[in-house]
Amino acid sequence: MPELLQLTVDGVALSAAIEPDRTLLRVLRDDLGRTGTKEGCDDSECGACMVLIDGRPVNSCSYLALQAAGCEVTTVEGLAGVEALHPLQRAFLEGGGIQCGFCTPGMLISAVALLARDPDPSEDAIRDGLAGNLCRCTGYQPIVRAVQRAAAEMRGETA
Amino acid sequence: MSESQGEGAEPAVRPWIRPDGQAKATGQAHYTADLAFSGLAHARLLLAGRVHARIIRIDTARARAMPGVLAILTQDDVPERRYGSFDFVLDRTLFARDVVRFEGEVVAAVAALTPDQAAAAVAAIEVDYADLPPVLDVEAALQPGSPLVHDAIATYAHDLNLDPAGNLAGRSTIVKGDAAGAIAAAPIVVSERYVADMAHPVPIEPHTVTAEWSGDRVTIQSSTQVPFYARTKTAEVLEIPEHRIRVAVSHLGGGFGGKCDFHFEGHVAALARAARRPVRLVLSRREEFLAPDKVTHAMVVDIETGLNEDGTILARRARLILDCGAYASDTPILGQVASMMIAGPYRIPHVDIEALSVYTNRTPSGSVRAPTGPQACWAVEQHHDVLAARVGLDPVEFRRRNLVRDGDEGPTRQRHEGNGAVETLERAVAAILAGGPLGPHEAIGVASGWWFSAPGPSGAFVRIEGDGSGRIVTGAQENGTGAVMALPILAAEELGMRPEDFAITYQDTDAGPYDGGSSGSQTTFNNGRAVVEAAREVRRQLLELAAVALEASVADLELRDGHAGVVGSPDRRISIAELAATAHGGALLLARGSGMPPEAPEHDASMCVGRLGFESFAAPTFFCHAARIRVDPATGIVRTLKVVAATDVGRVLNETGALGQMTGGVVMALGNATTEGTVFGADGRQRNASLLDYKLLTSADAPEIEAIFVEFPASNGGPRGSKGVGEPPIVATAGAVANAIAAATGARVRRLPMTPERVWRAVRTGDDGAAEANAPFGPVPIGAAAGG
Repeated sequence: MPELLQLTVDGVALSAAIEPDRTLLRVLRDDLGRTGTKEGCDDSECGACMVLIDGRPVNSCSYLALQAAGCEVTTVEGLAGVEALHPLQRAFLEGGGIQCGFCTPGMLISAVALLARDPDPSEDAIRDGLAGNLCRCTGYQPIVRAVQRAAAEMRGETA
Repeated sequence: MSESQGEGAEPAVRPWIRPDGQAKATGQAHYTADLAFSGLAHARLLLAGRVHARIIRIDTARARAMPGVLAILTQDDVPERRYGSFDFVLDRTLFARDVVRFEGEVVAAVAALTPDQAAAAVAAIEVDYADLPPVLDVEAALQPGSPLVHDAIATYAHDLNLDPAGNLAGRSTIVKGDAAGAIAAAPIVVSERYVADMAHPVPIEPHTVTAEWSGDRVTIQSSTQVPFYARTKTAEVLEIPEHRIRVAVSHLGGGFGGKCDFHFEGHVAALARAARRPVRLVLSRREEFLAPDKVTHAMVVDIETGLNEDGTILARRARLILDCGAYASDTPILGQVASMMIAGPYRIPHVDIEALSVYTNRTPSGSVRAPTGPQACWAVEQHHDVLAARVGLDPVEFRRRNLVRDGDEGPTRQRHEGNGAVETLERAVAAILAGGPLGPHEAIGVASGWWFSAPGPSGAFVRIEGDGSGRIVTGAQENGTGAVMALPILAAEELGMRPEDFAITYQDTDAGPYDGGSSGSQTTFNNGRAVVEAAREVRRQLLELAAVALEASVADLELRDGHAGVVGSPDRRISIAELAATAHGGALLLARGSGMPPEAPEHDASMCVGRLGFESFAAPTFFCHAARIRVDPATGIVRTLKVVAATDVGRVLNETGALGQMTGGVVMALGNATTEGTVFGADGRQRNASLLDYKLLTSADAPEIEAIFVEFPASNGGPRGSKGVGEPPIVATAGAVANAIAAATGARVRRLPMTPERVWRAVRTGDDGAAEANAPFGPVPIGAAAGG
């Protein structure tokens, strides 16, 4: 029997009648039209599906949609303002942190969560903080550098 | 002709932001699985699930009656056409015909209203199999009396340079001089065996294909690296003309060769026609490991080198066995590539290298990023360290004495022009040594290598719109590297405009002219040439208009800063926008480019057999990787601390893009070298077909990477003497790490990947892993193999 799910996605209150066995990833992509969040493995191994639930990073492929009832969900599509990119998005873009781009949505979400809990992370802390997100293109180094630059900018230091 | 680094008055490299980057950073970029369709149906494949069996019966009746099922197809529902990659061996059909030959073979396909309904229907298809003896060992497969993967191989059409027979799909040789005689006379001879396991490309986006018919035309949106090739093969297997098929790629989520060749476009197009709806297929991650039949070759390398006391290489013999899996795919040509890699960028007067492409009941291998390169380089560069030790030379000095220099001869007597083989060695070594003294259990290893550029046909259109902005329309495919995204840099230079003044229409067979796709590091090399040629024609058109407007001679005009102007008269100029407005009242600013691909270097392949085109390496890239590692002797875990990748790419055209290839290639190589590798059960099926068990490196595992570019432009290269850059960075890392492991522990690991267990065993017992189970039964004398 479908149940009514109410939640906020990227600042917009939404509701949908869904079967209780459906994952948050499937509901975001198939019911709510938020395809920015990707599916790479359906196994919590690649991190492409990562979203924030009340600020906490979660692999949405392995999270029941109903568990997010009443929560604030942030996807990659909610990071930028209408005019301006998030500093992390801009740093990824300017620093070669994006190649094929398929890991980028999850990678950005992990980076946002990391900088929220540690605004001045060491390189090791960044590498640990992104270790749940697989990237096959970049070798991670440009992404790590981009997070360092964005963190400095977000702390108000010259990037 | 050669130039040293820094010569030439080329424009400075500017910071570069890829044109597709903002869409990718904001989640707005649509990949194939993100595309919306009205009335979309969902496909699911029935895979064999066993490695070798005769199909006794397929009954789809019960599945067809299930709710939501729109279509079920087997080979009975499509033309009975046998096909093969590049027509090397026409050994396969779209769906299995009578026999399944690997566990991911497609037996049937379902389209249903929902993914769950499609999965339920697949489960309800009844198939009776009679298992056949699996062929799992490449050397046993070559023995008389071995079960055959293809018992009707004698009836298959094939390339006339090949002679497929038994379990041998193809045999090729790279031969120069008299290697047997030179080795018999050599004061020192070293023979070794190296064995590599199969690995996977693992793009983060799984294979995804949609198809939608409109009348007799079909639009296929596919996660392919090679749209034109996918179109050709779809046309072939469904027996419809190519102009009725459009293959387009929305955004591609990585490929690494795994999305080269023709995979599921034919199945999905046929399903959509039968279902009379648009159909989408998305592979699960498990299916992604089993079904796309493009994996890194398992390989057995027997190598023998004759040496002088002073460390001069006199001759080399080798026999390479490539496990091509159930279907030949493009493995026969890659045997040639592997042979060229085993010769390497070294001066070797006598060469005799044989490559055998052998059928087994495993997932078919193929052109994964620098196919055969990493395994071959890993083997031969360890061999070189062994040779160096044999004559008491430092590994760096050994390479210094033997690497090719200007004027030296290649394995088939191609003449090397000035190149960075030695300079990349010197600079990589200097950079890794700058890291300071080694700690406990730390060591440094180096590996040198080369890789080809791939000249081929390619086309592009360039036009200037009425407002003076530009558009490139190209058939080229962007797989993420940025090669297509950087094409505006080349057009802008010709036209005195800025890269951001250009939009790009790409990866759509209905729009752009033919291109070979994202394969063989060929996009900039070939499509760059096409774009430059088209831009030069537009330049000519602009200058003619400007000559009229400025009442000047074309010879006195230049294009710069968005204007046409008289050289030396800064106030006599007119903007390209004004010229474009003029053109839009008359003859448009519009041009095509293609250009003849550079020719292969002169060489002598008269002693070689199985010649499919890689008897020489065109515009080769040269490189040396140096790795600093630490081995934990208690666990065998190898931690790579730093890799220096020094590469002669001819000319750096886009520094951001080139750096990204280096860092990404090295980390992919390290994963292949240490944590990846497919494990098989006794039944021949993959045991680690998931990202939980097949481990890619994470950001926490990846080392610091220093990229060094050395520029020796190739006289027969791509734009401005550039060479291929996408594949080379994955080639040498494993060899450097292997040599560092040996330096740190005194033990050599001759099995790839060099997992902690294997390193531990090598250190503790001296077992180098080459004879491990799944490996060959035992050495066969070089040159004594069956076939040919």
